[in-house]
Amino acid sequence: MTGDDPGPLIRLYGLTGGRARPAGESFDLVAVVTTVHVPLDPVGLVPEHLAVLDLCRRPTPVADVAAHLGLPVNITRVLLADLRRDGLVAIDRPGPVAQTITEDVYREVLHGLRRL
Amino acid sequence: MGYAGSEPATADPAVALKILVAGGFGAGKTTMVGAISEIRPLHTEELLSARGAGVDDLRGVESKATTTVALDFGRITIRDGLWLYLFGTPGQDRFWFMWDELSSGALGAVVLADTRRLQDCFPAVDYFEQRALPFVVAVNCFDGARRHDPAKVRRALGLDGAAPVVMCDARERESVKEVLTTLVAHAVGGAFPAA
Repeated sequence: MTGDDPGPLIRLYGLTGGRARPAGESFDLVAVVTTVHVPLDPVGLVPEHLAVLDLCRRPTPVADVAAHLGLPVNITRVLLADLRRDGLVAIDRPGPVAQTITEDVYREVLHGLRRL
Repeated sequence: MGYAGSEPATADPAVALKILVAGGFGAGKTTMVGAISEIRPLHTEELLSARGAGVDDLRGVESKATTTVALDFGRITIRDGLWLYLFGTPGQDRFWFMWDELSSGALGAVVLADTRRLQDCFPAVDYFEQRALPFVVAVNCFDGARRHDPAKVRRALGLDGAAPVVMCDARERESVKEVLTTLVAHAVGGAFPAA
């Protein structure tokens, strides 16, 4: 739970240029990230950015991206927000639950669970 | 009802839904997530800084150094582009702020109860009741645990009557499936009462 060694944290924030907050509009832990453009000349992108662009060719929720990168959620969010700002990924913005989960989706989930 | 006025014929957007699995320490949260997840539960962390936004109460955070909160989750694919994510909630009270993020927009929650320490799940029950998030209480009847009467558990927890109480074995996939099915049916009934 508690990391006493500050070394890894310093390296993690190095990835984000010291920033702890993602740029722009906030997004949920399971907001779906989709790659919209992969630059031919990825100047200014770190390997983690490129890993995201590769992974999110298939739409992928934020939590999965974090687990895939092996990075904390906060750091992942900063990286994702950078990519969004640069127009390389799209991140959906789940609204309040009533807007996101339609009755059809509920039914689909219910049937899907029963089929498991 | 034709297609007039509906969305263009594009694929439905991908949707990931959250279900929280809450309960006291050792109640079997990780076991439950692992029993039903199609993947080995994934692990990530949230960094907690003493100056973190949204962290109002830092009593108990002894140092100003950043700490990490473990976050484990599992996944069930309903179909391509529709996923159910199960998040085990961080067990300590000082991580309530993370519950706020996890429960925001969530489909519902499972409160996993250990009959030997029923009081451990009081905070979770209170939390979900206050936020009007649909939940079920799943009493984990693992080896050696006395089978409890759901009515007694309901009384002991002071449930208002809406939340279902089910007996389960958090290690058994079929049993966990039953718990989740009960939750989703309860949630859909609350969200679309006429259905």
